[in-house]
Amino acid sequence: MTVTEMAVSTATRQTRLVPGANDEQQLFARHQQGDMLAREELVRRFMPLARSLARRYDRSSEPFEDLLQVASLGLLKALDRFDPTMGHPFASFAVPTILGEMRRHFRDAGWSVHVPRGSQERALKVRDAQERLANLRGRAPTVNELAEYLELDQEEVIDALQAIQAYESLSLDAPRPGATDEATSYGDAMGEEDERYELVELDATVSAVLGRIPQRERQILRMRFVDDLTQTEIAARVGISQMQVSRLLRRSLDQLRALTDTKS
Amino acid sequence: MVVAPNVCLTLSNQPENVLLVREALSGMADTVGVDGVELNDIRTAVTEACNNVVLHAYEGGEGLLQVELYLAPATVEVVVRDHGTGIKPHIRGEEEDALGIGLSIIQALAPRVEFKDVEGGGTEVRMEFSTPETQELDALPRDGFEPPALAEEDLASTTALAVGPSELAHRVLPRVMCVLAARARFTTDRISDAELVADALVSGGFEASSKQHLRMSVSVAAREVAMRVGPLGGGTAGRLVAETNDGVGPVIEKLTDERRIASEGAFETLELTLRDNR
Repeated sequence: MTVTEMAVSTATRQTRLVPGANDEQQLFARHQQGDMLAREELVRRFMPLARSLARRYDRSSEPFEDLLQVASLGLLKALDRFDPTMGHPFASFAVPTILGEMRRHFRDAGWSVHVPRGSQERALKVRDAQERLANLRGRAPTVNELAEYLELDQEEVIDALQAIQAYESLSLDAPRPGATDEATSYGDAMGEEDERYELVELDATVSAVLGRIPQRERQILRMRFVDDLTQTEIAARVGISQMQVSRLLRRSLDQLRALTDTKS
Repeated sequence: MVVAPNVCLTLSNQPENVLLVREALSGMADTVGVDGVELNDIRTAVTEACNNVVLHAYEGGEGLLQVELYLAPATVEVVVRDHGTGIKPHIRGEEEDALGIGLSIIQALAPRVEFKDVEGGGTEVRMEFSTPETQELDALPRDGFEPPALAEEDLASTTALAVGPSELAHRVLPRVMCVLAARARFTTDRISDAELVADALVSGGFEASSKQHLRMSVSVAAREVAMRVGPLGGGTAGRLVAETNDGVGPVIEKLTDERRIASEGAFETLELTLRDNR
């Protein structure tokens, strides 16, 4: 946030340093008469504004360079449509025009109907980095450590953590590089063991309900809540990522709640 | 009907709290199905309004940031409020342009914007966004709703919030908890545990408080997150901890390091502490 603010204030200072309002008015007047040099100078001066808007509008999914390109196009449109004789400052006209261009771009790209590819890729990167760092240090990393490792900001990492929770379709269950067959087919491997464990002393309702939770979820619940293993430890045993353990825990607890609610 | 906000956040104007507000907005968006350009508009405009409070409302000092979210059919309204010296007096000199761009962004993205002075000092920015085709939630009547309060000495470490109904809380609270646990430098393991606790609180908390909002405050220290949930009805806080009938035993008890029930008159507050003892 601060960086953005600084970028803006630097940008705005630059637009003020040399020109002064008079100079700018002249530039706009010359531009209206088709002076390409004046146009170039105006683009140069207001590019920081376009850049700052590209940075401020959406920080999560598209490559910044693409956004900047769209914002620049918006700036050119704003220059063409701006009427300096109306007496308004150019920036207050340019901001909605540039934002409008970016919004149209996203709409055309069908942005609302699918998870942006950029955030999917990032979610997978965060998942893999989480595993790598956990292996390296023997404990799960913090958000800051992930951010530093992947050169992302905190928000990007947190959004990725949430995306992993939310999007089943992210093919997160696909084997990761280096995973052995044995590890990925953990479901089968765990089968025999499962029957030997019973989940604490359960009343009849709960037992009945638990039976409706898939086996691997039951296993994971047991490891976390009966055996007191951490999610990272469970992940290592089961051969999936900690993020996936987290997702399965949340989902199965949700299911259990829903099932016990209907029972009672 | 005069309605209560669906989400009400009372927090410090520290820059990192803007992220918390943005995550709350994403949780809201997940619940009612706002996405794509609409969500981005809302997030961008609200971020600008919050950044104004961070940077300008208290002349570089710390103060209260209040954010309220109202979900109505086909509209989302967001109010960002401060109790500082106000934004308007700052629109001059060096800061004029930076602030001006923020305000033009808000005006460009929110179909309706209203700036108001807050009684006793401060500014309120009220932004209304149109969100057609979103899922409707039950309206919450105002019914004496008070925004969660925060003592001045707690401002730096604590976030207070009220959220309802439960289907919204289910999406918003874990996200907010994720931000706060990350701030406490929790590992991703414990962050997930904190989210599971938030889930459990949402599942049992509404019944226990017999209110339309779940109210809580969360304090963050190094590797420690302390929650105070309530006010809850007398005798219900204990049940909330003990009877999370999940089939795996009491989830809250398993995942927290300390639990305490404080009684005050007819009400109880459930105090939970999570640590990351890695």
